[in-house]
Amino acid sequence: MQLDVIKSPSGPMRNFQTRATLLLAGILLVVAGPAWAQGTPGGQTEAYRSFPLIGSRLAVWGAAQLHLYFAAFILGVPMFAIIVEFIGWRTQDTRYDWLARQFMKLTFAAYSATALLGGLLTFIFITLYPRFFGYLVEIFGPTMWMYAGLFFVETFTLYLYYYGWDWLSGPRKGIHLGLGVLLNIWGTILMFVANAWLTFMMSPSGVDEAGKLTSLWGAIYNPTWMPINVHRLIANITFGGAIVAAYAAFRFLGARTDEERAQYDWMGYVGNFVAVSSLLFLPFAGYWLGREIYAFNQTMGITMMGGFMSWLWVVQAILIGVLFIGSNYYLWLGMERIPGSERYRPYIPYLVMILAAGFIVWATPRSMVATLEETRAMGGTHHPVLGVLGVMSAKNTAVNLMILTTFVSFLLYRRANRVATVSWVRSGMTAQWIIMGVAAAVVTFYGVYGYFVESIVRIGFSVYQVLSVLAAIVCVMAIDFPMFRRARSTGAIRWGQIAPRSQYVLILLAVSFTWLMGLMGFARSGIRQHWHVYGILRDTSPEAVTPALGYAANMITAVTAIFLAFVVLIFWLGGLGERGAKG
Amino acid sequence: MRVPLIVKVGTFALAVMGVYAYYANSIPQIQSTLPEELSLEGGNVTPEQLVKAGEGIFKGKGTCEICHRIGQKGTRAPDLAGIGAAAAKRKPGMSAKAYIIESLLDPGAYLVEGYPGIMPKVDRPPIGLNRSELWATVAFLQSMAGTVDVKLDDIPKTAGAVVGAEGAAQGAELKLPGDPKAGQVVFMGKGACIACHKAGAIGASPIGPDLSQIAKIQTPEYIMAKILDPAGMGTVAGYPPNLMPPTLGQTLTAKEYIDLVSFLLTLKGEASAQAPAASKR
Repeated sequence: MQLDVIKSPSGPMRNFQTRATLLLAGILLVVAGPAWAQGTPGGQTEAYRSFPLIGSRLAVWGAAQLHLYFAAFILGVPMFAIIVEFIGWRTQDTRYDWLARQFMKLTFAAYSATALLGGLLTFIFITLYPRFFGYLVEIFGPTMWMYAGLFFVETFTLYLYYYGWDWLSGPRKGIHLGLGVLLNIWGTILMFVANAWLTFMMSPSGVDEAGKLTSLWGAIYNPTWMPINVHRLIANITFGGAIVAAYAAFRFLGARTDEERAQYDWMGYVGNFVAVSSLLFLPFAGYWLGREIYAFNQTMGITMMGGFMSWLWVVQAILIGVLFIGSNYYLWLGMERIPGSERYRPYIPYLVMILAAGFIVWATPRSMVATLEETRAMGGTHHPVLGVLGVMSAKNTAVNLMILTTFVSFLLYRRANRVATVSWVRSGMTAQWIIMGVAAAVVTFYGVYGYFVESIVRIGFSVYQVLSVLAAIVCVMAIDFPMFRRARSTGAIRWGQIAPRSQYVLILLAVSFTWLMGLMGFARSGIRQHWHVYGILRDTSPEAVTPALGYAANMITAVTAIFLAFVVLIFWLGGLGERGAKG
Repeated sequence: MRVPLIVKVGTFALAVMGVYAYYANSIPQIQSTLPEELSLEGGNVTPEQLVKAGEGIFKGKGTCEICHRIGQKGTRAPDLAGIGAAAAKRKPGMSAKAYIIESLLDPGAYLVEGYPGIMPKVDRPPIGLNRSELWATVAFLQSMAGTVDVKLDDIPKTAGAVVGAEGAAQGAELKLPGDPKAGQVVFMGKGACIACHKAGAIGASPIGPDLSQIAKIQTPEYIMAKILDPAGMGTVAGYPPNLMPPTLGQTLTAKEYIDLVSFLLTLKGEASAQAPAASKR
């Protein structure tokens, strides 16, 4: 089995020098930042400076989004690298160890890019938005030191984890896994610290009416901090999985041997499996975040869902629909390479129907900013028929049923080449169908009942819907594992013999995930409108306008294209070492 | 010719993103603009102008339309059709004007049955209407089946004060290296501002807006920009446009300009309007 390592003796040292320089620059920034932001000796702070050609806003937008993409990647990939490595250790299947190492190789290459972009972003803030950055330093100065320190610790843990792979193998594998866990803990804390800064901008707390700090912990633990933490944690895993799957797809399409194709087909499947598994939990975290935004400030919540941003959710719905349908389609295509899967084909049209119906409901808007003529033409602010589908009751129901459907697809895939041999197989399967039926009934019941109760009661119903789906997934799998433990095989999975279009589906999913992240970033940031820190520090720059969706979409597309180009470059660089190793 | 894989995949990825971007560009485009500050203080504004300005705030900066409808029952907030008359019946012993003002400044004081207490105080951030804007908004609401009789003095003097870090920045942190006393001399002399503006105890001309509270109701950035580019910064409602000379940026020296701005920043209302010692002589 080919194991990819950076063999060049100068590689680690060069990496170390790069990172050491970046770290030094980062610390200097934190130290010098406030002084720099002070501006002239007279104490007058210049609020804004202009960036040539594209303007300050696009400069900060581009740098922030690129940094976030890379940060999400380097935080997400190690999470499942450690899971995959653990599976490999327990099952003694060397493929998993190879896969985990492949993942980490990609992370390693992206690490420098993340740090570079983080430094660039800080420079932009200090030079172009000195008063705003000065205010943030005033509030969060101590946490910035903590961030720099954690960055050191994380970097050295990463070195140990990656370069110690061979050294800490065999009987010392447990120590290596421990390092992997530690790496993820540092990364997660780093993300939480940075999240405190950006969520404070959305929902400031721990300050008085004049914006003066009263409690640092209050500023950190602001209303949207924990929902964003959880949402990003899950989203990072999804994103990392999707990017790795896309990488595998690219390698699959370019593979010259059956062995290579089989290897990357399997890698793509695992990456996609991790991405989709975590994706199922994202809507719940999203609802939590939305609820906290409403609880913090109704105006902000309404602006987000029914104000100038209302159309954004229609675009989001399109992307969510693509993700769900794409994920399912990939599984169905994958079943083609599994002998015995033919018996499940008749179910697929029904699954398509449920997903399509869910997609339509999910994409139906409720509140729209409409002209008087449009409102009159509709006979009210909401469309008489479609408006009914636009409310959260319908959307919660739709998304829960889509999640359940995706789970069914996975279940069919899982048992495609297996025939259960246990004596209780009939009752087991019946129980599984009943559980899923009950979950679907609970979801539908609360969806319909939600129309007849107050909104505050309705919000609580989403919890029952979510719990019923999660409980169904857990219970069905609890039956499935023992039921298929000694199952008769109808043939081995023919890894590598999947239709090439399936690999384009993986690329589609990765592109869609990335674009969606950019869109949601715009939503999160845009709902502050003309405020740097909502209600505390107003944006009085000439570029304080929050742009329309089309403009934002163009920007997101441009940044995503740049990011993907960077990723290709990094993958190519990673491949150079591999080619060198092959001689 | 065989197309390289990277080109195929790259084209595919760009096509996917292109579809998303095209879709996002093909639906209604709404952008959120920076709300403009409306200043009516000291101006001779007709009720019609006031109502029109209030309607603009209702639909724009005030963000009232997000929840309130006029002539339609909403789920989040009451229908405001006829509020000018209906307001008089909401709280016994309270006039329509007083009820509307209270509803804007302290929305939780009285809730219409069936609606949640979700309305924010509109003179506080993030909406942050100033006194002029509150005045106009009340006039607009009164105009719906009621009589427009609200005066600026009906709006509490404490309403609409700038708060937050921005307020702190405007007040405590902004220290211009200018001399307010010298700035007053410029105001009365070379700048000829006094020909059109009143500034506390100085001047009495009604041609331009009264600047006695300008430091309280406007940002330093606005004041500085207004001197240099009067037309570009807009004209205060109720006053003729293009009267203010656009050449002050050329005729005043840098020191005179900074002194003048420093003087204007001392004009914060009754107490501070007479602050410069020069005016007491």
